[in-house]
Amino acid sequence: MSQLVWNGLFVGSFYALVALGYSMVYGVIKLLNFAHGDLYMLGAFSGFAMLGALGGLVRSQSLLALLLVLVATMLVTGLAGMALERVAYRPLRGAPRLSLLITAVGASFALEYGTRAAAGADPRVYQVRLGGTTLHVLGARVTVQQLVLVAIAVALMVALHRLVTSSRQGRAMRAIALDPVAARLMGIDVDAVIARTFFLGSALAGAAGVMAGGYYGKIDFLMGFIIGLKAFTAAVIGGIGNIPGTMLGGLLLGLLESFGTDLLGGEWRDVFAFGCLILFLTVRPTGLLGERVTERV
Amino acid sequence: MRTRRVILTFALVTTVSTACGQGLLGGGSKEEEKGPILVGMDIPLSGDSAEIGPYMRNGAQLAVDEINGKGGVLGRKLQLRVEDDACDPRTAVAAANKLVSAGVKVSVSGYCSGATLPTLPIFDRARIPMIIPVANSAELPAQKLRHVFLINGTGDQQAAAAFRWLAKEGAKKVAVMHDNTSYSKDIAVRTATELDRSGAPDKSVLEAVTPKESDYSAAVTSVLKGNPDYIYWTGYYAEGGLLIRQFKQAGYKGRFLVGDGSVATKLAEIAGGKNAEGVYATMTPTPETLQGAESWKAAYKQKFNADPGPYSTQAYDGVRLAAEAVRKAGSTDGGKIVTALETMEGFTLFSGPLKFTPQHTITGGFEIQVVKDGRFVLKEKI
Repeated sequence: MSQLVWNGLFVGSFYALVALGYSMVYGVIKLLNFAHGDLYMLGAFSGFAMLGALGGLVRSQSLLALLLVLVATMLVTGLAGMALERVAYRPLRGAPRLSLLITAVGASFALEYGTRAAAGADPRVYQVRLGGTTLHVLGARVTVQQLVLVAIAVALMVALHRLVTSSRQGRAMRAIALDPVAARLMGIDVDAVIARTFFLGSALAGAAGVMAGGYYGKIDFLMGFIIGLKAFTAAVIGGIGNIPGTMLGGLLLGLLESFGTDLLGGEWRDVFAFGCLILFLTVRPTGLLGERVTERV
Repeated sequence: MRTRRVILTFALVTTVSTACGQGLLGGGSKEEEKGPILVGMDIPLSGDSAEIGPYMRNGAQLAVDEINGKGGVLGRKLQLRVEDDACDPRTAVAAANKLVSAGVKVSVSGYCSGATLPTLPIFDRARIPMIIPVANSAELPAQKLRHVFLINGTGDQQAAAAFRWLAKEGAKKVAVMHDNTSYSKDIAVRTATELDRSGAPDKSVLEAVTPKESDYSAAVTSVLKGNPDYIYWTGYYAEGGLLIRQFKQAGYKGRFLVGDGSVATKLAEIAGGKNAEGVYATMTPTPETLQGAESWKAAYKQKFNADPGPYSTQAYDGVRLAAEAVRKAGSTDGGKIVTALETMEGFTLFSGPLKFTPQHTITGGFEIQVVKDGRFVLKEKI
C-alpha cells in the first residue's frame, strides 16, 4: 500500500514538473504548447551531451556533476523555449487559436525529428546512473536518490509558486493572463513577459528531462511524447492555468496510475486512469483548483 | 480489423492492376529468360528498425555473389533488388508492388511482422514465392498462402522453447510480461497458457506494460506481489533493460528470461552495471553464437568491411534457399518453385537441416543465450 503511494508520488512529481510549463503557458496566452514534452526530451539530450563533455568529473563526483548539468540544462532548454516562442508563436500572436495549435504540433515534430537527425534513432544510455541505497520507510522501498529527486522537484515547484505569487514579474504574468490588452495599456511589456514565461516553463521541463535521464538511464528522441500527454492530462486535472492545482494534478495522476496497475493490471492502467479523469471532469469541468472564467470575446 | 480489410483490398487492387500492366507489356519475356534472375528483398532501410536493414542486405548480397561465383542458377546470374519497407505497412505494400512490377522471380522479404503481413497477398497473387527470413508473427502462416514460407522460428516455437527452458531450470513461479504489441503478446500469451496447462512451473501473473515509457515501478510492484522466481519478458530491449534495472532496484532476487526482441547489447547498457549479467534469452542463432561459421564471418567482414549483425545469416540463408529451389524446380515458374520448396529435404541452413511443415514453417531453431560481460553468448540448444 505505502509502496503504491510512493511509486505514484515519485512518477507524479515528474508529471507535475513537466505539467507546470504547459499550465503556465496556457494560463498566460491560452496556447496548448504541444512541443512542451519535446523540451523535456531536449533537456535529457543536452544533459547527455554535457555529461559527455565533462568526462572525468562525472566519474569522480557523479551527483555533483549531475547537479551542475541540471542547472546548465535548465538554462539551455529555457533559452530553447524562448527561441521557440520567438520563431513559432510570436508571429502568430493575433492569429486564430487553431493556427497556433497546428504550429505547436509542427514545432513538436521539428524538435523530435531534428533530434533524431542529430543524435540518431537509437536509444542512448546516460553516463551517470543513480542507483542508490535503499531505505525502508513505512513499509515502502525508497532510495536516497529518489528522495533527492523529489526534493529537487518540490524545491523547483515552490520557487516557481513564490515567483508567480509574490514578485513583480509574477504579478505581470497574472495581469497578462487576466487581460493582455489592459496589461499592455498599464505599461507591461507583454512580449518580454511571455518570453520569460516560456523560459521558466521550459527550464522546468529540461530539469525533469535530466532527472529522468539520470534516474532511468535510457533516453530517445520520442521520450517526450508520452510524458507530454500525461503532463497535459495532469494540468487539466489540476485546473489548467493554476499552478498549485497543476502540481496536485500531477501527483494525482501518478497515484491513479499506480493504483490502477495494482487493481486491474498494466493493460488496464490507462483505461482506469483516464476513465477516472473523464468522470472527474464531468463532475468538475474546471479541474481541481481551476476557476470558471468568463469567455473573453 | 477494418483497416486491415482496407489494406488488403488496396493491395488486391494494386496487384491486379500491376499484373494487368505486366500482361500488356509482357512482349519481351523471351529476352527476360536470358537475363539475370531477380531476387526481391523488402526490408527496413529507414524508420525505427533501419539498423537491421543493412545487415540483411549484406547477408543476401553475400549469398548472391557466392552463387554467381559458382556459375549462377540454371545458367543465369542472380541479381538482388532491394526495396525499403520502413517497417511500415503502407510503405511495404508500395515496395512489394515495385518488386512485382520489376519482375522478381523470388522474394526474400520481411523483417517487421506488421509491415510484412500486407505484402503477402501481393506476392502470392503474382505467383512469386516468398521466403520470409525474419518476420515470425503467428499471423503470417495463419494466412495459409501457398507461396509463403517462413524460415525463422515462429511465436509458438519460441513460447515452447521458453517453456522447456523454464521447466529445465526448475522455475516454480513465472511472471510473464509483454508490451501489448501483437508479436510480444502472442509469445507471452502462448507461454502463459502452457504454464497454466502443465504442472511444474506455475504462472504467477501475466502483466503488460506500455512501451516507450520510463517508469515501470507500478508494474514491478504488482508483479513482485506474486513472488515469482523467474520473469519472462517478451518485448523489445529498450523496455527490457529498464525492467531488469527496476526489478533489481526493487529487490528482486530471481532470474530473467527475455525474448528475441530483447537480444541486443543495448539491453545490458540500459540495465546498467552488472544488472543484466546472467539474463537468459530465447533466440535464433546469431553470427556471434554460431559455431563453425568463422569462415563465413570472415568472408562477410572482408566483403563489407563490417561485422555481420542480427539476421545477416537468415537473409543469407533465404537467398541460398531460393536459389536451390529454382535449381531444383528447373525453372523460374512460381508453382514449380513452391513444389520444390515443399519437398526440399536435407538442405542445411545455419539453424539446422531444413524441412518445411505443412504450414510452411520450420521446426525448432531456438537456442538459449545468456548475457556475459554485457554480450549475449550461446548457453545451449533447446
